Amino acid sequence: MRKSLLAFSLSAALVVGCIQQETPAPRQPLPEKTLLIGLTPEHNIFKQVRRYEPLADYLSKKTGIRVTLKVLTYRGNVIDNFRFLKLDGAFFGSFGYSLAHAKLGVVALARPEVPDGISSYHGVLFVRKDSEIRTVRQMKGKRLALVARATTAGYLFPSIYLKRAGVRNPETFFKEIYFAGAHEGTIDDVLDRKADVGVSKNTVYNRFAAENPRIGRELVILGKSEDVPENALALRRGVEDPVKRKLGDALIAMHADPEGAKVLKAFGARRFIGTTEADYMPVMTYARELGIDLADFKFPAEE
Amino acid sequence: MKKKILIGLGILSLLFMVIGAYVIVTVERATSRLDQLVKLHQVEILREHLLLQIKRVQSDLAWSGTRYASGVDTIVSHGIQMGKVVDRCFLCHHSPQVTEGLVDLKSQTGRYEDFLSHVLTLDANRARREAEKDEAVRRGQELIAKVNGIIALTSRNLESSSQAVFRQIAITKTMLFLLIAMGPLILMTLGFLFIRELTRPMNTLLTATRRLKGGALDHRVEGLKDEFGELATSFNEMAGSLTEQMQKMRRTEQMVVVGELAAGLGHEVKNPLAGIKAAVNLLSEELTLTKEDRDLFSRIVEQVGRLEALMKGFLNFAKPPKPQWERVSINEVLETTIDFFLVSHRSSFQAFGGIDIRKNMDEGLPRTMADPMQLQQVFLNLFLNAGDAMPNGGALAVRTLYDASADSIRIDIKDTGTGIDPEILGRIFSPFLTTKSKGTGLGLAICRQMIGQHGGSIGAENDPAGGALIRIILPVKRGEEEVQAAW
Repeated sequence: MRKSLLAFSLSAALVVGCIQQETPAPRQPLPEKTLLIGLTPEHNIFKQVRRYEPLADYLSKKTGIRVTLKVLTYRGNVIDNFRFLKLDGAFFGSFGYSLAHAKLGVVALARPEVPDGISSYHGVLFVRKDSEIRTVRQMKGKRLALVARATTAGYLFPSIYLKRAGVRNPETFFKEIYFAGAHEGTIDDVLDRKADVGVSKNTVYNRFAAENPRIGRELVILGKSEDVPENALALRRGVEDPVKRKLGDALIAMHADPEGAKVLKAFGARRFIGTTEADYMPVMTYARELGIDLADFKFPAEE
Repeated sequence: MKKKILIGLGILSLLFMVIGAYVIVTVERATSRLDQLVKLHQVEILREHLLLQIKRVQSDLAWSGTRYASGVDTIVSHGIQMGKVVDRCFLCHHSPQVTEGLVDLKSQTGRYEDFLSHVLTLDANRARREAEKDEAVRRGQELIAKVNGIIALTSRNLESSSQAVFRQIAITKTMLFLLIAMGPLILMTLGFLFIRELTRPMNTLLTATRRLKGGALDHRVEGLKDEFGELATSFNEMAGSLTEQMQKMRRTEQMVVVGELAAGLGHEVKNPLAGIKAAVNLLSEELTLTKEDRDLFSRIVEQVGRLEALMKGFLNFAKPPKPQWERVSINEVLETTIDFFLVSHRSSFQAFGGIDIRKNMDEGLPRTMADPMQLQQVFLNLFLNAGDAMPNGGALAVRTLYDASADSIRIDIKDTGTGIDPEILGRIFSPFLTTKSKGTGLGLAICRQMIGQHGGSIGAENDPAGGALIRIILPVKRGEEEVQAAW
């Protein structure tokens, strides 16, 4: 009797309770058209997916085009990864976009503007406060944590920074150079003494510092780059123009929509603004200074 | 009784309410306990689910970097599922202590995600990659150990909670069964008591009625209360009245028999008396008698005359003559009687010192069917009584009044005499009651009989100012039909 009672109760609860908790609200019929959008890791990729999912859902609802997110890692060749995952677009960092634009012909639609009215970021180079490193010379023989080759803040900027400081061959200048794959990863590693010098986007650095007071207490920024456009949504060449327009319009207008404003607030932005090629001039300048031909840029595996 | 019924209904309602409230509260409690138990099991399942999610991510991590590794998206998806399960835990728990533990769990899961993310995005030399992977695996194992610890702890708590809930449910079930079994019994008992309380006095009264019907007139109902008590009192009064009436009837019957016997006897005595009287008269005229003997004969004749008068009155009383109905004016009958009274008894009044007759006749008095001779006899009798009550003279007031509401005529005859002895006031209309030395005691009895034959009533009372008042009420009868109906 007792067992049957328990079984009945549990069954009822599982049927009612769990279904109530886990069954999502009735969804509208899924749109036929699907866009696969890549997310290049800025911080913890789990956090990043959670951050972008409401935005993808909103765009799906407003445009009638199903927007699905995929993690587009920098590991190896991000361009090849883009092709391999058969993505229709991605939220690229400035250098990543420049490369993708040059190699794949992707076109930027819009990028977020933070509540302060800023829609750009710059790279920062930091060390621990308790280390003796305050100049490039003092970095010799240390461990350098970069983000990824296809990033401005995580590769282009430190390359220029070191070059301007006279470091001709970073591979021999540092004891170890590695790519954390995400901006947050380099901060973590320097904080946890897994690396001596790290680079990152200032936006990620600041957001992370707001969450973790150790950053303000234990790290110090030694250098920063020029401002470059914030991660922008770019679509590949083959995506139809009406789809591009619909998606771009939805992003640009979402701050005027109460539902969109709510999503933007959770996302950490005030609005999305249009992006042009001219916005990426600092990246071009950096690339030229380093002698990089964007269309012919080779990743290590290709070298 | 009404109060008892109300109290009974109140008790029943209260009982129903209490039982109903108890059942509702009990069912609610049992449901709540079951709900609590279900929630605990849900939590248990959720934790098991979390454990599975972590182990799956750990598995993903273990295979990462090998040819069997899952895609980054798959691992990310698993990691996000794991995070969602942790978040779902916050929907169920609210106590600060548990919440604190969950916050710690979430933080630890977050750190695990950080390491996992690091492993998935890291592009470094093999040693670093391995170190990062080992660190992530270690964090994962710590997380698994923590969740296992929580599961073990909650399993123990769940078991004890389940036992407690089952015990409470068993008690609740027993109580409910008892209520279901006892409830109708209690209600039936109460109903029986109420019905018995209601029917017992009714049965008592019914039995008393039957006994009364059977002739037990001295039977009385005792021990009843409330409305039934009042009914019993009324019943007892009725029985008393019946007894009294029965006694009166018996006496009346006896009187009728005695009357008939006396009438027969009187009739038989009347003729010899007449013979005696005639013989004595003849003897007294024919014999030469001394004055003493002649006086003796006169006294014999006088006494025989008294006997004749007594016999006549007695016969009138015993066999009252049937009224000779005619439409009369009471005022005229009274006027005639007063005139006759004044003429026939003038000498007596003068001897008394004079009686002042005061008449107050209602001119609007309707005519009524009555026997004028009988009424004259009644009125004359009353006037003579009044005269006797005023040996030194006085006033005799005669008043008539028509009472339209009762359609009756009231005749008041009031004297200023000595009044009626209070001791015999209630019995003055009884036969053979007299205060006069030479009275027969039948005058007022015959008056009442005659007035009764007219459908009226006669009463007497003393005036506090002095004297007696005799009041006669006669219903107005306008036609022969009413008279016949009355007879």
